[in-house]
Amino acid sequence: MSKYNLRILVIAVLISCIGILSIYSSNYRKEGQLLQDIYKRQIFWVALGLFLFFLVSNLNYRRLWDWTYFLYAFALLLLILVFGLGIIRLGAQRWLRFGWLNFQPSELAKLALVIYLARYFSKSSEEDISSGAHNLGIVRALFIPFAFIAVPAAFIVEQPDLGSAILVMLIFIAMLYLTGIKLRYIALLILAGCLLVPVLWSLLKDYQRDRILVFLNPNIDPLGAGYTVIQSKIAIGSGALFGKGWLSGTQSQLRFLPESHTDFIFATFAEEWGFFGSTVLIFLYYLLIRYGFSIAQGTSERFGKLLATGISVMLGIQICINIAMNMGLAPIVGIPLPLMSYGGSSVFITYIALGILVNINKTRTVF
Amino acid sequence: MRFKIIRIFFALIFISLGLTIFNFCLLRSSVYRTLSKRNCIRLMPQEGSRGRILDRRGEVIAGNKLCYDLLIMAQDKEDIDRTLDAVSRVLGKSPAQLRASLRTNFIAAFAPVVIARDIERRQAIALEEMKSEFDNIIVQPRPVRLYLSDNLACHLLGYLNEIDHWRLTKLEEYGYQTKDVVGFGGVEEKYDYYMRPEKGGFQIEVDHRGRFIRVLGFRPPVEGKDINLTIDLRIQKIVETHLRDRPGSVVIMDPSTGEIIAMASWPNFDPAVFLKQNNSLIGNLFNDPKAPLINRAISGVYPLGSVFKLVVATAALETSKINLTKTFFCPGFLRVGRREFKCWNNHGAQNLMAAITHSCDVFFYNTGLSTGPQALHDYALRFGFSKATGIDLPYESVGQVPSPMRRRLSRQGRWYDGDTANFSIGQGDLLVTPLQVARMTAVFANGGRLVRPYIVMSVQGRDISVSQRQSVPTKLKQWILDYVAKSMREVVRDPSGTGNVLSSAGVEVAGKTGTVQVPRGLSHGWFSGFFPYQHPKYVISVFLEHGGSGQASCQLARHIIEDMVKEGLL
Repeated sequence: MSKYNLRILVIAVLISCIGILSIYSSNYRKEGQLLQDIYKRQIFWVALGLFLFFLVSNLNYRRLWDWTYFLYAFALLLLILVFGLGIIRLGAQRWLRFGWLNFQPSELAKLALVIYLARYFSKSSEEDISSGAHNLGIVRALFIPFAFIAVPAAFIVEQPDLGSAILVMLIFIAMLYLTGIKLRYIALLILAGCLLVPVLWSLLKDYQRDRILVFLNPNIDPLGAGYTVIQSKIAIGSGALFGKGWLSGTQSQLRFLPESHTDFIFATFAEEWGFFGSTVLIFLYYLLIRYGFSIAQGTSERFGKLLATGISVMLGIQICINIAMNMGLAPIVGIPLPLMSYGGSSVFITYIALGILVNINKTRTVF
Repeated sequence: MRFKIIRIFFALIFISLGLTIFNFCLLRSSVYRTLSKRNCIRLMPQEGSRGRILDRRGEVIAGNKLCYDLLIMAQDKEDIDRTLDAVSRVLGKSPAQLRASLRTNFIAAFAPVVIARDIERRQAIALEEMKSEFDNIIVQPRPVRLYLSDNLACHLLGYLNEIDHWRLTKLEEYGYQTKDVVGFGGVEEKYDYYMRPEKGGFQIEVDHRGRFIRVLGFRPPVEGKDINLTIDLRIQKIVETHLRDRPGSVVIMDPSTGEIIAMASWPNFDPAVFLKQNNSLIGNLFNDPKAPLINRAISGVYPLGSVFKLVVATAALETSKINLTKTFFCPGFLRVGRREFKCWNNHGAQNLMAAITHSCDVFFYNTGLSTGPQALHDYALRFGFSKATGIDLPYESVGQVPSPMRRRLSRQGRWYDGDTANFSIGQGDLLVTPLQVARMTAVFANGGRLVRPYIVMSVQGRDISVSQRQSVPTKLKQWILDYVAKSMREVVRDPSGTGNVLSSAGVEVAGKTGTVQVPRGLSHGWFSGFFPYQHPKYVISVFLEHGGSGQASCQLARHIIEDMVKEGLL
């Protein structure tokens, strides 16, 4: 069973390398030493991420059970800190600056919430073995965990980072579904969400509304968000079968494509490596998620099972939304592509999550 | 079961992603290839106009006008050479010059390149006619700043220029980009965020020759917000007329609210120079030793001279070191230690009111010595010295107030009684800005409040004075303030007072003069006062750099007040 561990590591490193190559390619023609050297920083992030991966994979995941509320409180504290600083600096704020490191607390919050949900639902069923999660009443199945999710999600929306907030809710729904609570509760949650749409719509910031409208019709704002979608589609489409070749993508290098090294790195990659490259990349991502689910399926211990599922779902949803957004199938919500997009926080959290996954697999084989 | 469903769900999503890729890269790739190869999407930016700057009555100080830019689509090499040759004949510039600006202004293949900015109307029409022959020419109207009269209020407005690297790094998060035009100095900088327009434009599809096919989308530009200053343009004009050719500054402020009614500084500059991108003139402004870009009223720090005696008098009365009947005899000098400190005249016996009226130095040497330097320092701070006033203009200086403690901390040696004597008449290490002096004077006129001066009254018609008006009570005794104010009135009313020239100004003025000896050149001259005496409406602080004496500043204040009375502005 430990074959998955090595495979996960190999795939993660492979995707990271592809990411570094694409970051290098997207910026090497841009003026400014800072942008040109950005790939070096990414190499540093990945190296540090690997270190964290080994550290976490050798740390019994059962300890996370004890640390759950501490982690939750820590993530919430960081979110509140960002919120507070945002008020002081009179503007949007997603980052906390620790010296040379810009950390994005919403990344940590995602993982902390997955761990929290895993613990919550494994505890509920262990206390009362006779009845599993499917016998939980609506308060314990839905309201309590929802309250714990909604507070950090509200702070994330306020940052404003709509994408991460939606992601958190999707992870929540997916995990509710997997814990086996009654389907009608989930239906109720989704129904309530739909009813709240008009209210939420009025709470959104102007540019967030623009982005959703643009997703429905890219031509309404061709200079802003719509421009990105159109250019990203052109980038992917013009790659054709084998792509234009590394360092030869015109869309990203001639600056047609904004954010070419962060949210739209997939388009940068697809333009240069074509259908062939992108299918391989998507397949690699698929394998990663599949291994995650396989580990979850093979674990009988409930906390580990839910944790592995949650992590796989978290990564899977991020990957799917980001790639779909690159192809104009989803609104532009600012979710990075795990392992590929430039950015320290995303790389760290992804590697930590994979480390936990590997550890669950390891620990299980001991039994 | 549910587990399986989720796994299948993800598998399906990944398959559909792969199918979409298949669709993009194989089925429709030729469409996207041509779009990408031809760069068929063009952005035609349309700039909105920057918010105007108006005075308190709505009169325009800086507005906008339309100018024309010549842009060229830079996709086809041969076409460009031909076009540039033709364009150079119209503009009267050499093709090499145009080619150079093409290179420097090039952004990306899809965006037109600016070849010449602010071309004449005649040329714009001629070029527009050439469009039928050269389809890559674009003549684009663009709103630019229009300054309604030369140099008027230039230090308050600031100037506009392309964003520099330092500002860009700070403002990038707020949506600023390279080549944006932003304000430097004055309200243009402080309120840039409100006044800056939001870019809009067309996105158009063109064919391989660069000919227009269709509009893909349009986003209208958003205009910047107008700003109303607290300045009264009529008074500002009077002040600037009289200050002309004399280095220094004048501040007129409402003592009860802190509204700046007029603020001028000489030498000044023409902000339009920066719009014309005339590099030699801009260089001159920066290298001029007279520093015309500096707003002396808020950024210049100077010794205060005898005007500081108002603070000394208040401090001495508050700490009960003297009373109103206390007299000192002035023989024209006072011996402190081994040094003789001179007075500018033999005043004989002087009490406080007479000493302020005649600006007797000996009286204040004695008063200062008995009050002590630490108390003088503390009261100077209560009057707002050595602190920024908090005015909503950038680059404000704080000045400094000396004290024995500071002297020791900065290791500049001991504090002697001679230093206290110098300090009591505002000489020595005391440095203040003219705006701080106006604020100090206002304390005597408004019943003891230290106001925060401000210059922007409303943004896009929305009155912001509630948040702008802030004042701190100085907690000084009202009878002391009244007494000092009465003495200030005597300075002007008494025929032997140092500010007597102001008695003919047509309104009851109260104030204090100051002359500061400087190591080199003529003395600096100060006058700071308020009027009308009974119901103070304005505080005026006049500072003349090497102006000769306080008399010169008094004269200037008289001319300004006379003109204000003449135009019925009181």
